[in-house]
Order: sequence, then structure tokens, then C-alpha cells
Amino acid sequence: MIAETWELMLRDLKKWVRSPAWLFASLVQPVLWLVLFGNAFNPTSLIPSTPGGNPASSAVLQTIFGGSPNYITFLTAGMLCFLVVSWAMWAGGPLVMDRSLGYLNKLLAAPISRTAITLSLLLSSILKGIVLSVILLVVALIIPGGLTFSSGFGAIDLLGTFAALTLLSVGFLWLFMMISVRATKFETLAAIGSTLGLPLLFASSALLPVASMPGWLAAIANVNPVSKAADIIRYLIIQGTLSGTVMSTVTFDFVYLGIFAVSCTALGIFVSNRGLRMD
Amino acid sequence: MTAIIEAEGLTKVYPPSTKAVDDVSFSIDEGEIFGFLGPNGAGKTTTIKMLTTLSSITRGKGIVGGYDVGKNPNEVRRIIGLVSQDLTVDSGLTGMENLLLSARLYHVSDRDARQRARTLLELVGLEQASARMAGTYSGGMKKRLELISGLIHEPKVLFLDEPTLGLDIQTRSAMWQYINGISKEKKVTIFLTTHYLEEADSLCDRVAIIDRGQIKVSGPPSELKSQTGANILNVEVSGGRDLVSVLLSTDGVTEVKRAGNRYSIRMKGIDPSLQDVFHTLSDQGVKVVDAKIEKSSLDQVFLEVTGRTMRDEVVNPGDAFEMQARAKGRGN
Repeated sequence: MIAETWELMLRDLKKWVRSPAWLFASLVQPVLWLVLFGNAFNPTSLIPSTPGGNPASSAVLQTIFGGSPNYITFLTAGMLCFLVVSWAMWAGGPLVMDRSLGYLNKLLAAPISRTAITLSLLLSSILKGIVLSVILLVVALIIPGGLTFSSGFGAIDLLGTFAALTLLSVGFLWLFMMISVRATKFETLAAIGSTLGLPLLFASSALLPVASMPGWLAAIANVNPVSKAADIIRYLIIQGTLSGTVMSTVTFDFVYLGIFAVSCTALGIFVSNRGLRMD
Repeated sequence: MTAIIEAEGLTKVYPPSTKAVDDVSFSIDEGEIFGFLGPNGAGKTTTIKMLTTLSSITRGKGIVGGYDVGKNPNEVRRIIGLVSQDLTVDSGLTGMENLLLSARLYHVSDRDARQRARTLLELVGLEQASARMAGTYSGGMKKRLELISGLIHEPKVLFLDEPTLGLDIQTRSAMWQYINGISKEKKVTIFLTTHYLEEADSLCDRVAIIDRGQIKVSGPPSELKSQTGANILNVEVSGGRDLVSVLLSTDGVTEVKRAGNRYSIRMKGIDPSLQDVFHTLSDQGVKVVDAKIEKSSLDQVFLEVTGRTMRDEVVNPGDAFEMQARAKGRGN
């Protein structure tokens, strides 16, 4: 199964690299959110600026935004999560295309595992998500008033950031793969993506801290895996070295994301393989 | 000869009760080119899908290469190649990449895959275009690429579902030549479906005609034409006498239609019926002004066994399901 998964993953990656339009399209939204939303809706900009910096602004960032040096730094973690989740929504696109073009039958008539068909798309999507995340991080770093890492931020923290993104991505990839396996039209994915994308973003801590939300929304945001991943990344970026309560919160969030990823994987493999069975 | 494909009472019912294939049985020998003929939606594709493990079998049994399709699908998949009626080459990959991917999915070593790919590309005249994206290929080139990608792993049995559908006459003719060449050169058993009867006639060792999910007749084309088909002699004679009953009493004549001095005489065979008809006309003292013979064809065989021509393209309810499913992109 490994060899087939590898070959099919390469197929998908080759096509992605050869379609710069896709790369561009997948980056546009998170970058625009980061640059436009990050500046236009920056909550600290409501506080009048004073020469040498307004202490009220620092206090808001310290108390509400977890000590983030600026709003873009806070938002970057959310946008990284948004990027991998929105990318996950389209991961099954090639499968839908293969089905409508008849290529899927060619694969199903070959002596390969059904899991290899979905797993290959999943792995290539994770890799694409990592590449796009790196680009987004670079954009966040170079924009004025942009991402600022804590002085303690190191390789382990970077690894932790991508580990959180990968777990989040795996969970959502399988969830959307289950839909893609049954979908016969690309429009189905588009409809589901556009319906779920923004609610997943707003009902999470991606844009604003959960503490600032009304109770009912905070309850949803607290169980939303996007919040868990965004919080982990924020702790790593803003605080660098973790200890004490923060460490246990991050550990809990990692376990939460791990359970989310494993459960979705188990369910995803089961449902996908059933979806690719003989009719 | 050993049978490499056997179908015993193969039946496919789509819920709740749409019968797409109804109790179909046949046996195909190793190395044969077997044509499965019928109009659109007759059940050809459904039969292929059952035999290639893409669709479950409701009743009956399919054996390919000694393996039960229902019980050992993976073993069947290892020894078959499938070229579907859709253009399924990957437009985002080059011709060579398409072939190598197909080979690797069948665990062909990289060295063998490259060697076979070069040979096959040359065989179908695509060697110059092998580094180009398949998306830039013409329809005919894509079909040729598709055909050889079904052969790259050297299958024992190649299923070709309407391999020339939608191609122009020249490309179709070239495709049939490739198929014939491949069958002879690679000694591959070929199961093909088509609704181009004249092409199947010249290519296939044996054919079966399927209509509304049931096999109506099967055998070598020449045998079917001589047994079931008919030759039609169109003659124009002098004089106004009615010769219908006289002609009908001639050996081998099965039907006579008259329009003035013109007669359309349907005969079982050409020899000796043709001579007998001319003797009859001569005995009646009639002079033949004009004569034209329409030789027996699979089209006529089809007309005779189904009561319709292939061009009628009548679709039964089961076929409608199949076609709807295909239109939806699900296949069936």
C-alpha cells in the first residue's frame, strides 16, 4: 500500500506544482484576511495612540490577547489554522474530478488498496498545507506591524506549530474526504466549503479570544479544534518557552487535537473505503 | 483452448428491481478477441464492470483467469487491464508519466516500466509526444495513450469498453489496427464492447449480441451471418407478372418483397441460392434488367435477432439507470 500511496501522492503534487493558479488561489484568502482584516479590524487601533505608545493598548494586548505584541501576531495563528482547514475542504477535489472523468474506475480496477487512493490525497494535502503555511508565516513576518516571535521561540516551537497544524489538518481532511468520496460534483464541495468555512472560523479563537465571546458562542469555540490549534500556536509564538499552567494547557490541547485526528482518521478510513466499494 | 473468461448466469439488478444484465453466460478462450455488441445501454458496460470488479454481481458467477470475480477481486485485478469509454488519461501528466504511473500501480519495476512504455509509445506512434502534457493531446492521441496504459503491466485479459467511441473514422480504423496488432503481438485476450458492428465483424474471432440485458446470439461473425443473417438480392425484371410465390418456392429464399417490377429477395446464403433464383427467373421467361446484392452483415443479424437495428438505440429501463449513473459520474 505504501508504494501505491506514494505514487498517487506524487501524481497529485506534480499537478499542484504545475498549476500555479491553485497555489495563488489557496494563498489569497488567508493573506487578505491577515493583511486587510488584521489592519481594518485590529481591536487595539480603537484605542487612541499617544506618543511613546498608549499603555491602554499594551494592557489590552496583555490581558485580552494573551500578551501578543500586536494583533497581527495574534491573528497569524488563527490564519494558519484557517488556511489548513480551508485547504482540507478541497483535498477531496481531485477524487471528485477522477470520479467524474472516469479515472477513479481505472484506479479501482487496479490491484491497489482503496485506502491508498484517499490516503495519497490526504498526505499531499498535508504537504501542500505545510508549504502554504510557511509562505503565510513569511508574509506575516514581512508586513508592517506584522508577526513578532517571542525571544524564546525556537526550532521545537516551530515543530510544535506544524505538529498542531498537521493534527488539525488530518482531522478535517478525513472529515471532508468522507464527503468527497460520495460527492459526484465539484459544486458539492464548493457548497459545503463555503457554508462551513466562515462559521468554523468565527466560532473559534482564530480571530478573537474566546473570552470576548458571548457564552453560547464561547461554548462552541471551546470545543472547536480550530481554537485548540490556534491557542497552541499562539502560546508557542508569543511565549516561546512553556512552563507551568501554560504547559499543561498546551499538552491538553495537543491531546484534544490528537484524539480529534485519530477519531476522524478511523471514521474517515471506514467511510471512505465503504464509499469506494463496488456498487 | 482454455477458457480465460467465463460468465455463468451473470445478472445485475439495481435496486429496487432494475435488471441491467439478465442471466448472461459465455466463455472466452485464451488469446481470443471477443466482441460484445449491442446498442447503447444494452448492458455491455455493466457486464464489463462486473467482470473487472467495479460492480458487484447480483446473481451468477464470473471467472477471469481462473479467479472468481466476487471472491478474489484482487487476484482478478492483477491480471486484467481496463480501457474505459471515457478519456481517462490524466491531462496534468505527460504521456510518459501517465504510462509510468499505470505501471507502478501494478508494481512493474521502474526499468521494465520505462522499457515497455517506450515500446508501446512507438507502437501507437506517440513516442514524439511522450514528454508533452496529455492535456495537449488530440482525442485520438488520448485514446491511443489510454489503450497502451491498459497494456503497460502486460495483462492477460484486456477489457476495452467502446474503445473507439467518439473517434473519427480514420482514427477508429487506426485504433482497430492497434488492437489487432496488440492482440497478436502480446497474445492478450481481448474483451471488447462496441456498437460499430462492421468493425467488430472484421476484428473479432467471436461476438455475442446483447440487447436489453440478454445475449441474443453468439458465435464467429461468419457463422452468425450465414446462420442468422441474410443476403438480399435486389432485381429489376422485364414484364409485369407477379413472381413472389414462385420466388418464395426457391430453395434458400426466405422473404420476397415486390414493388412493381422490382423484387427484394432475402436469401439464407449466397451460394447456391443466388444461382437458384436466377434459374427460377430464367425458367419463368423473365429477363433480369438490373441486379444488386446486399451481402449479409452483423447489422442484419442484429435486426433479425432483436427485431430492431442498432441505430434505433432503444434503451431499456435498466440501461436508463446505467446511463443516468454514468451521466452523474458514478459509473455503475
